Amino acid sequence: MSLRLNTPPVRRTLVLTVLVLIWEACAWLGWIDPFYLPAPSAIAKVIFTLFADGEIWPHLEATFTAAIIGILGGLVIGIVLGFTAALLPVLAELLEPVMILLNAIPRVILAPLFVIWLGIDLGSKIALALILVVVLIFFAVYNGIKEVDHRLRERVLTLGGGTGVMIREVYVPSVTAWVLGNLKIAVGFAFTGAVVGEFVASSRGLGYLLQFAQSTYNAALTIALILLIMTFVMVLFALSERLERRLLRWRYR
Amino acid sequence: MLRVKDLTLAYGAEPVLEGVDITVEAGRFASLIGPSGSGKTSVLRAITGLQQPSAGAISLDVPATEVGFLFQDDALLPWRTARQNVALGLRIRGRSRKEAEARGEEWLAKLGLAGLGDRYPAQLSGGQRKRVAIAQVLALEPRFLLMDEPFASLDAIVRTRITQELIGWVEREHLTVLLVTHDLEEAIALSDLIYVLSQGPRARIRSSHAVDIPRPRDVVATRDHPRFSELLKNLWEELSAEASLEGVT
Repeated sequence: MSLRLNTPPVRRTLVLTVLVLIWEACAWLGWIDPFYLPAPSAIAKVIFTLFADGEIWPHLEATFTAAIIGILGGLVIGIVLGFTAALLPVLAELLEPVMILLNAIPRVILAPLFVIWLGIDLGSKIALALILVVVLIFFAVYNGIKEVDHRLRERVLTLGGGTGVMIREVYVPSVTAWVLGNLKIAVGFAFTGAVVGEFVASSRGLGYLLQFAQSTYNAALTIALILLIMTFVMVLFALSERLERRLLRWRYR
Repeated sequence: MLRVKDLTLAYGAEPVLEGVDITVEAGRFASLIGPSGSGKTSVLRAITGLQQPSAGAISLDVPATEVGFLFQDDALLPWRTARQNVALGLRIRGRSRKEAEARGEEWLAKLGLAGLGDRYPAQLSGGQRKRVAIAQVLALEPRFLLMDEPFASLDAIVRTRITQELIGWVEREHLTVLLVTHDLEEAIALSDLIYVLSQGPRARIRSSHAVDIPRPRDVVATRDHPRFSELLKNLWEELSAEASLEGVT
């Protein structure tokens, strides 16, 4: 068996490794000021220490709790609101302008308000993650239902199907497809909500640590935290992608 | 028996159809032909209740559960397998999942799709999807079949084969059929009676022609029958007249 070396992933890893090595060398030679840009080895050491002395765990727990509750709650609320708004025009009339407004503004500006209302604990972070996800999923579901293929509706109708069959066979699968198509974005949003919420005011979480690192001008810790958050989101992206592929396997040839 | 009396149908201000009369006796095969855009599909949509007519009466002495409607497109549920799609109508009629899917598999086999039951529509060819759609309707064992250019998207060979299978089924089971098509040869080869719709808007039935070619018919061999070319010429002239009328107005 020959190992294929000339593939995009291999090439990318190779280039990345070379860049990191150059960066490390520049730091060694004293060409860059570690105050602004510490060496990769220094950053790696910070990450190692964070985990080795267990300092990171309560922060990870706080951020993940807020993000996961945000995404699950956001999915449930977004789906319920989107579904009912699509089926009840009266509700759509009230909800649509609010959602359009919430969609248009950078929703993170609500963070200070949530802190005032809910305090600096988990509640305000969950609220921010939730509102980011709810608006996204609401539109996915609401527009998804409105744009359901009318040919499928007519087919089910002419086969004699009623409302129950229509919901089970046409609407639920259509909406599932729309929601799954937005799942990765929702995961990103939930993390944004949690971390920004912590950034604004908190006593725990990756956002809190980040805020602490920035206020103490600790570039190594800042970069270490950014890398950590990136890693976690990438892992969740990969999981979402697998779920999407599994549930939407009917899309693939 | 289907009786469409004085059917008028409008989407906007001007009626698409005006005063359309069509009668299909039980066990007969009727076709509706006409220039494109004349409202052929609207006639079928009115009969199935997908479209509310502005005026006129439609009576059908077959219960709704025994009417099958074959669409122009092959809009199968993309998230259901071929077998589940065929079983859908049976499930709606209250059969158990197991029974409906077993029957679905039988129908797939009858239409030459044995072993493809687990595929999703995206994994089938256009011709295969069309056959799944036909199986979905025939599995309900309808007494009355409405078809809207069901073979339009197929290539000639597949089309001839599927048409032959379908005509065989219709003749054996004595189904009543109303077919909408723009294909004159297909209409003659399959029908007992052909209705010609005039150019829309305000389309009406311009004429009807009895096709006195004996059954059972072979889709290809029927074309050699002396009546075939005669009817084809007549229908062609009528449709050409309609088309030139359009050019004048």
